[in-house]
Amino acid sequence: MPKWGMLVDLDRCSGCRACVAACQIENNVPINTEEIVNQRRGIQWIRIERYWEGTEYPAAKVRNGAMLCQHCRNAPCEPVCPVYATYHNSEGLNTQIYNRCIGTRYCANNDPYNVRFFNYWEPQWPESYYHYLNPDVTVRSKGVMEKCTFCVQRIRRTERQAKREGRALKDGDVQPACVQACPTDALVFGDISDTGSRVSRLAQDKRHFRVLESLGTDPVVFYLKKVDPQHVGDAAKQPAAH
Amino acid sequence: MATTAGGRKLGRVMPTGRVLAIIVPFIVLLVVGGGTWYLYGALNPPPKQQPIAFPHPVHVETLQLDCQFCHRGAAIGPAATVPAVEQCMFCHKVAVTDRPEVQKLRAAWEKKEPIDWLRVYRMPDTVRFVHEAHIQAGFDCAVCHGNVGQQQVVQHARDLRMGDCVTCHRVNEAPTDCTTCHY
Ligand code: HEC
Ligand code: HEC
Ligand code: HEC
Ligand code: HEC
Ligand code: HEC
Repeated sequence: MPKWGMLVDLDRCSGCRACVAACQIENNVPINTEEIVNQRRGIQWIRIERYWEGTEYPAAKVRNGAMLCQHCRNAPCEPVCPVYATYHNSEGLNTQIYNRCIGTRYCANNDPYNVRFFNYWEPQWPESYYHYLNPDVTVRSKGVMEKCTFCVQRIRRTERQAKREGRALKDGDVQPACVQACPTDALVFGDISDTGSRVSRLAQDKRHFRVLESLGTDPVVFYLKKVDPQHVGDAAKQPAAH
Repeated sequence: MATTAGGRKLGRVMPTGRVLAIIVPFIVLLVVGGGTWYLYGALNPPPKQQPIAFPHPVHVETLQLDCQFCHRGAAIGPAATVPAVEQCMFCHKVAVTDRPEVQKLRAAWEKKEPIDWLRVYRMPDTVRFVHEAHIQAGFDCAVCHGNVGQQQVVQHARDLRMGDCVTCHRVNEAPTDCTTCHY
């Protein structure tokens, strides 16, 4: 049984948001209108967080980072669900069973990464978009929580394909939409229980860290620090060979 | 005022006890009978009227067509799929073109319009069913759909609710994690 995990190389992330768009379309994520965003109720399973350092060019620098569900092995959101709509499955996914969810929002309130989203309204698309909805993903309704699934529909589909071809899954076979869309290869997905997988090897890089690690959530999304070319002599200067 | 006066009057003509004795059984009969009738209707919905009365028996039993000749997706994807009009026309360009139901089919073909078949088996939107896995595991269509070759109109032949699915999965050591069927 694989344990899925992801790696985000901040040195490669250009902040282009292709991952955000790909995720939105793959997973039937409702369109965030200006009104919804102003109410801070927008839904983005993966988002690019942008931080500025310094104010004046050339000292001013921008840092981009992708934030998505960290699929924590010790997830704060899971034990607070009164109906077990969210739990950790044997593949290391933090699941969200929409039809089981009763919308208490405890999970989102207990989530330190802000990656769980509540459907305050019935999601709506212009009628011409209905044909673009992904039939492999449930369209959520008002009153349920939703979040990144590591594109479980793609995991299932790839597993079936491998089975049909009579072979085992290979490293790199499963690609969530965000990983597939990333033009700079900043996102890497794979089996972290396999020490030979690309994600496992890259996670050993000396630039590695995890977000809010001090909380003890034990995330399976690993990050690699940005290399700052102006800080010559930094220990962590060399990006790993991809 | 009016009610008490009316009540007293009624009581004098006919004692309340006797009124109840007449009304209560009537209400009980109405509730039980109506409930049974409603439940019977809900549990045995009348077969849906398809736009064309397509008979499985002649195609499956008489002509010995394989299910997957028409339902091509069954072994390779989630949906079994219902055949395109074009596929019927392999035969019905020439076969029994005089029959009224086949003429409806040919009219659709000439207008280049698909046929809006009504679904008989339909999972709720929150459930992901995959034919491929079950056909590859060696199950015959009849395990879930009954003997379609005998059904003039396709009937819902098996429970196929969560308890049914999960029971069979347990017996066959298939996955029962919620994300097998819900995502
Ligand atoms: C394990 C049970 C099972 C078996 C075996 C099975 N089916 Fe189905 N079938 C279903 C269920 C459940 C649905 C409803 C699926 C949905 O709504 O997503 C369905 C739907 C269908 C449909 C209509 C929707 C679609 O998928 O296109 C057709 C046609 C169909 N089945 C044909 C077949 C044929 C032909 C076979 C054999 C090759 C077969 N089925 C084997 C359970 C089964
Ligand atoms: C292999 C050739 C073949 C294919 C493919 C085929 N049919 Fe037929 N169909 C026949 C034949 C032959 C009959 C006449 C059977 C008899 O009554 O003896 C028939 C009978 C029928 C009838 C019944 C006519 C009547 O009133 O008795 C209908 C309706 C029909 N077909 C519709 C369809 C549709 C819809 C499709 C496509 C999904 C289809 N057929 C595909 C050969 C075919
Ligand atoms: C000639 C083509 C043809 C063949 C062969 C055929 N079917 Fe069908 N089937 C259809 C068409 C057309 C429909 C849609 C109309 C209907 O529901 O009657 C259909 C509908 C169905 C449905 C209902 C789908 C729904 O709406 O949920 C099931 C189940 C099904 N078929 C199973 C089978 C099985 C099992 C076999 C083999 C024993 C088989 N079919 C053989 C053409 C075919
Ligand atoms: C007759 C027994 C049986 C019934 C009934 C049944 N299943 Fe299954 N199902 C299996 C078996 C066996 C497997 C495992 C196949 C394998 O190992 O690839 C399976 C696999 C699956 C899979 C995994 C597909 C994948 O992506 O790998 C799904 C989804 C599924 N079933 C859904 C359902 C649903 C939903 C129902 C009820 C509507 C249902 N099954 C009813 C026997 C059954
Ligand atoms: C083998 C497939 C399968 C598995 C595994 C499965 N379910 Fe289901 N589930 C179904 C089907 C099919 C339905 C729809 C039919 C029904 O209402 O029973 C359903 C319906 C439901 C409903 C009712 C939704 C409603 O709108 O009424 C809930 C809640 C639910 N499932 C939760 C779960 C949870 C929680 C798990 C994991 C412990 C789970 N299911 C595992 C197949 C499955």
